[in-house]
Amino acid sequence: MFVSIQKILRGKCTPFPDETPLQLKKLNIRTSVAATSISNAWLRCGDGFQSTSVLEVKCWLKGVERCKLTTALAEISDYSSDNDNMGEGETVLATTTSGSSTTLQSRSGVDTGDVTARPASEWLRSAQALLRTPGKQAGKAPRAPTDSTKKRKLLRGGLAERLCRLQNRERSAISFWRHQCISDAKIPSDKSGVLIVKILEMFEECTIQIAICQQLEQSPATLSSEDAVISAGEPILKVLFARETAAHLKSRPQDVIHIYPPWQKLLLGNADVPVIMNTYFSQKVLFSEHSEMREKTYGLTKMLIRKNIISLAQTFRLNDHDDELHQESSDNQVRSIWFTHPLARSAVNDSLLEMVESQGAVGWREAQVRVVIQRVYCLPARGYRSHVEGNKLCLLVQDAYGMFSEVQLQSLSSADDIEQYCRRWEGKFCCLAGMKILQRTTRGRALGLFSLIDSLWPPVVPVKVPGQSQDSEMMTTDLPRPSFCYILTARSGEVHVEVDEEEQIANLYQPPAVHGLQQILQIDGCNERCNFWAQVLYLRLQTKHSVPINQREIWLFVTDSTLQNAVHITPKVVPVSVAASCVLSTEITESLSVASRLVFFKDALWGNGRIICVERTVLLLQKPLLYSAAGADLSELTGPVRLDELDSTTQANSICAVRGTVVGVNESTAFSWPTCDRCGNGKLELCPQDRGLLYCNQCSEVVISPVLKMQLEVFLSCPSRSQSAVKVKLLQRTISSLLTSSANEDGSYEVQSVLGKEVGLLNCYVHSVTSHPNCVALEEIVLLEAAARH
Amino acid sequence: MDSTLPAVAEELLKEIKKAFQETSHVPDDLLLGLKFIFGPCAVPALDLVDHRSVTRVTSPSGRTAYQVLGSSGKLYTCYSSCHFCTCPAFGFTVLQKSESLLCKHILAVYLSQAMGACQELTVSEEQLTSILLADEEDEG
Repeated sequence: MFVSIQKILRGKCTPFPDETPLQLKKLNIRTSVAATSISNAWLRCGDGFQSTSVLEVKCWLKGVERCKLTTALAEISDYSSDNDNMGEGETVLATTTSGSSTTLQSRSGVDTGDVTARPASEWLRSAQALLRTPGKQAGKAPRAPTDSTKKRKLLRGGLAERLCRLQNRERSAISFWRHQCISDAKIPSDKSGVLIVKILEMFEECTIQIAICQQLEQSPATLSSEDAVISAGEPILKVLFARETAAHLKSRPQDVIHIYPPWQKLLLGNADVPVIMNTYFSQKVLFSEHSEMREKTYGLTKMLIRKNIISLAQTFRLNDHDDELHQESSDNQVRSIWFTHPLARSAVNDSLLEMVESQGAVGWREAQVRVVIQRVYCLPARGYRSHVEGNKLCLLVQDAYGMFSEVQLQSLSSADDIEQYCRRWEGKFCCLAGMKILQRTTRGRALGLFSLIDSLWPPVVPVKVPGQSQDSEMMTTDLPRPSFCYILTARSGEVHVEVDEEEQIANLYQPPAVHGLQQILQIDGCNERCNFWAQVLYLRLQTKHSVPINQREIWLFVTDSTLQNAVHITPKVVPVSVAASCVLSTEITESLSVASRLVFFKDALWGNGRIICVERTVLLLQKPLLYSAAGADLSELTGPVRLDELDSTTQANSICAVRGTVVGVNESTAFSWPTCDRCGNGKLELCPQDRGLLYCNQCSEVVISPVLKMQLEVFLSCPSRSQSAVKVKLLQRTISSLLTSSANEDGSYEVQSVLGKEVGLLNCYVHSVTSHPNCVALEEIVLLEAAARH
Repeated sequence: MDSTLPAVAEELLKEIKKAFQETSHVPDDLLLGLKFIFGPCAVPALDLVDHRSVTRVTSPSGRTAYQVLGSSGKLYTCYSSCHFCTCPAFGFTVLQKSESLLCKHILAVYLSQAMGACQELTVSEEQLTSILLADEEDEG
């Protein structure tokens, strides 16, 4: 804490012990003076003071070390007499802060009931009693130093406490910056955000120095400031300097000042001159030795500045906002704009929580948080996948404290890039800046998100504990599972995500843990995220016609070597349901419908005996670069794929292999129809000219040799499921082979001719399984063939 | 030349009101702006707001005045039609030395208005008159 007391005895200046007067010494920002020495010094000089007519007290409190303050000095009221001599030096006076102005008060938040404080306060009171201005104060007896001397502590968590903290931080930043400027003896080189202004005119209002300035593009390099011609085109600014900054700068017209961020700019509604404030980090530029000399001489003489007296009648109207909201703003009713220039360089933070909680703080828009991208996925625009714009690229990120956040980025026009983003971004560090908080969600409300977070918990490396310094011990396994998660979004039009693609994978990254399907089927639990690599054998679209195609569920029947080669009893093929909320890239959907592909299912959900792909599940055609295999068998399938044979355990919505003997035919659904041999059109018409011929209106030609298509459902007796009546809707080729030798002369068929024939092995999709009556309805299917290998 | 500071101060208070209405929170940069413009009375004014020390006193005719409970326990009256407060600091710092636009009580009144932290009190005409006159008698 630095306290300097300077008395002016009509030009004479008596220095205190331990202290040199200000004129002879450079401005010392910080001098810690022991408490006792101050109060003793005062006591000693007390007698001398009483004979003076003018007492000026300078109080300058700076520094963060307030807690160490033991003197009771804070704000001292000044009661100078009318013939105030504003001689040399600065007059910097504190103001009173409470009604009781004759007593000393301790600085808020600090308990200074120190014994050494007493004598000083009593002395000062008596000194002030002598110096008190006649008039208003005459009738007032000095108040006894009772409870009113001790100012109440600031309310915890209140605005005053927050401002105090901000103020302290700002002050230490200012003094640190000034110290740096002095020691470096040159302008700090960071040029971004620096305002360069040339003062044209100055005046003062209520201790704030207002300088009408011209903004310069760059600092006039070698010319002295007088030679620089004021060009008319340069913008005019009104720069406000706080009293203390003005005293430090000692500026006068024609001076060039550099103002470093953070500063604030205000565009008032009706005026066209912008106002710059919070200009604590200002520095005067000296150009040549010549001007430096001039500085020194100027510094000793005081410049007179015009002082504007503000009328008391000019009150502040805070209600204009409400009016403006209701009216259209006309041209001359421009809304004022206020913004804070960001810090030139802000430290990169590593806490998401801090970034979220410091919304609105100085420089928060530019503050960056460094996080690890754990997962990249796509969220559907309207809750279901669509081919139009709207699917949002999302990142699940984790900070150094283990906290997760979902960051929703820009809309993707198609989900095709998702695989690219996954490969390039997962596991890398990235810097987030200027995020907007969309939502703070909890476990109960976002089960899907939290099932993904749980799959990444606990963290693989120790994480930091908030509130402790970096060096302290870090915890890892005892941390409870996250119960809340912030959903952030990049502000409109701006992407504030910088992914460090070059850098290596973060230690915190948890690559997907891949398992064989057999292990997954044995997982005990619900809503567990799982990853596997499987061959898709068959694809089926849900057939509810009321639901638009892109919102329908897709069923994929998959298998892998763990299922095919399994020793224990386990299904050979597993259905995977892909919900409408799972975004699929067109590449995937196209390739899946064409051939049997190996697909990597990332973060699918297992629960209730089913595997489903929902939001945040990603299907990839290639294995990710990083994954942990955990003993899974990821070998490729060798040999043909085998399906489970139809048996008593077969359930609906599965695929199986069937063999049996034909025991009946469903005559009501047996029919054949001609199709065009060129285009396959099944709706041929009779030719208008010649009723004996068929006409295809898609080809616009007569069909000479139509292809006959047939539909036939047969009932089989299957030894593997002998209790059930098995009905199979056969495919064309099976029908053909069944009927080859059974045709009658007129082209019809006799049921007798097919009874008893052996059929199988057929691959079938199980439509339904009912127990009363004991029926199984199957449909013969064609499994996807393996993609051609090049 | 027209004064600059009142317009800046008014704009700052309006921004605080707007920010508070939108987010129930006053951002740090506005608090630091308060400090910049109003100097040493910013923190005490906020302290008064934290303690809900400002009361708007209204009479049936629509006349209003503000009473602020100072940290020392004394009640000060602030006028609504012009900047005036019965505290000695106002008399000295604002009137005599013109070193500040407001005293901490008047600033607390504005901040309480901006953040909806004013307590309300309705009194009769006679009571309001005596509030306004009583302080004059004290000074006398």
